[in-house]
Amino acid sequence: MNSKNLDHLFRHHHGKMVSVLTRIFGLSNLEIIEDAVQDTFLKASINWRKKQPDNPEAWLTKAAKNRVLDIFRKIQAEKKHLPELKSGLESIAVNELFLDAEIEDAQLRMIFTACHPKLNPKDRISFALRTISGFSSKEIASALLTKEETIKKRLFRARKFIQESDLAFKIPQGQELPHRIESVLEVIYLIFNEGFHSNKKEVLIQKELCGEAMRLCKYLLKNKHTNIPASYALFALMCFHAARLDAKINTENELMDLKNQDRNKWSFPLIQMGNTMMNKAVENNEFSTYHYEAAIIAEHIKAPSFEQTNWKKILTWYECLHKLQPTASHLLIMGVVCLQSKNYIKANYYFEQLNPEDLEQRSYLFYSAKADYFVATNNKKEAIIQLNIALEKVTNRLEKEFLEKKKLTIN
Amino acid sequence: MKNFMMIFIGADYADLGLSQEEMQGRMEKWFAWGNKMEQAGVLKGGEALTPQIRRIVGQNRTVTDLSSAEVKEIVGGYYLVEAIDFDAVQEIAQDFPDYDLGGTVEIREIMVFDH
Repeated sequence: MNSKNLDHLFRHHHGKMVSVLTRIFGLSNLEIIEDAVQDTFLKASINWRKKQPDNPEAWLTKAAKNRVLDIFRKIQAEKKHLPELKSGLESIAVNELFLDAEIEDAQLRMIFTACHPKLNPKDRISFALRTISGFSSKEIASALLTKEETIKKRLFRARKFIQESDLAFKIPQGQELPHRIESVLEVIYLIFNEGFHSNKKEVLIQKELCGEAMRLCKYLLKNKHTNIPASYALFALMCFHAARLDAKINTENELMDLKNQDRNKWSFPLIQMGNTMMNKAVENNEFSTYHYEAAIIAEHIKAPSFEQTNWKKILTWYECLHKLQPTASHLLIMGVVCLQSKNYIKANYYFEQLNPEDLEQRSYLFYSAKADYFVATNNKKEAIIQLNIALEKVTNRLEKEFLEKKKLTIN
Repeated sequence: MKNFMMIFIGADYADLGLSQEEMQGRMEKWFAWGNKMEQAGVLKGGEALTPQIRRIVGQNRTVTDLSSAEVKEIVGGYYLVEAIDFDAVQEIAQDFPDYDLGGTVEIREIMVFDH
C-alpha cells in the first residue's frame, strides 16, 4: 500500500462527500447525510482490507453517488423536508455534481456556511473541523484542548442554528461577499493558530491543524470570487509560520524562541511558496492585517541570523498592523522589538500603554518581556521579580522551563 | 502443515464511533497484516461479515433479528491460514490490529477426516 497518497484520505474525502450531498439534499438533512458518509467509510475500511482499489478517491466518490438514492429513501421515510429535486435522481444533474470542479464548489459553499457570521465564533471552528475537515468530536476536543462534551454541544448548537435559520447553501454574491470572506479567513486563521500556538506536547496534532487550515485556504485561492489579496496574504502568512514549525521544538523538546531557532531547520519550499503567494497578495494596494503579519514574518525569515534582523522595518509593519487592529499583544511585541534595537525609552512607552490582563493566559509573556527590559537596563532585582510573576502565570510546561532557564542566567 | 481458522470477535466498528482517521488507520493495519501473511504464503482465505444477525434457536426454531448494537461481542470475520501448529498461528495472530479495542482472536484447527 502506498500510504503516502492516502494521507488523511478519509478525512479529506468526508468534507467533499458531505458537501456534495448537502448540495443535493439541503442543509436540513445534514445529519442523515453525515451518517450515510460515515457508513460509506466503514464499508470502505473493511472492503479495502484485502485489496485497495486502484483509485481510492474515485471509489469513494462513486460510493457517495450510490448513496444518493438511499438517502433520498431515508429522508422520505422520515418525512423530512425534501428540497426541490429533479424527478429521476439518476438524472445527469446529480452526476454532474460529482465532477471535480463541482465538488470544489460544494466544499466552498460548506466553508461559507460553517463560517457564517451569525454562528458563534467557537461553534464555527468546531463545525468547520467536523463537517469540512472530517475530524471527530474527540479529535476536535483534543486539538482545541476542550472537553469532548463541550465540542458536542457546540456542534449541536451549530447544526440547530443552521437548520432553523434556513441558510442558503451558496457562495455569497456581490455586496455580501467581502465581509463573508473576512469571516472565513478569520476562522481559517484561528484554526491555524490553534495548531501553531498549541500548548500540546504532541507536535502531530499541531501540524494537522496547521495543514488543515492551509488546505481550507487553498479552496478560496482556487475560486475567482474568493481569491482576493487578503486570501493570498493569509496563505503566505501560514506558509511562513509553517516553515518554522519544525524549528519551534528542538531535540531536547524545549521551546525555542526565534533567537535560538536553528534556521537550517526552516522549510525552504514553504518559504518559497509564501513568497510566491505574497507577490500575488500585493498586486493591488488593498492591505489587510494578514499582509502586515506576513510582512513581519518575512522580515524575520529574510534575516540570515537573528542579530541581522531589520528591527526598524519590523516595527514599521507592526505600527501599520496596530493601526488597523489595535491589540494588547501588538503593543507587547512592539515593546519587545524596541528592546531588540536597544531603544529602551520607546520600549517602556509601549509597555506602559498595555494592560497585561488583556493578554489573558499569555500575560506571562508581558512579565517575561519586562524582565528582559530590566536586565537590559541593569536592574537585576526587578527583573527577577518580574520573572517570578511570569512563572506564576505560565501554564505550559515547555514555556515554564524556558522561563526558569532565563532566571538562572540572570543570577 | 495443518489448516487453521482465526476467528475475530469484538465490538462492531460502527458501534465504536471511530473517526475517519482511525478507520483509515485500522484499515491500513489490516492491509499490512494481510500482505505479510500473503508474502509468507500462509493465507488461504478469509472474509469480513456484515453486522446483521438472524438467530434461529431451539426446537421451535425461534427467530430473532439482532443488530450489532444489541450484542457486545460479534464475530466480525475470519482468516484461514496454513501453519504447523497452534503456536505458529498464535505467532501470526500477534499482528491482529484490534486488540486495543478489546478484540479477541480465536484460533481453531480445521478438522480433517480420513478417507
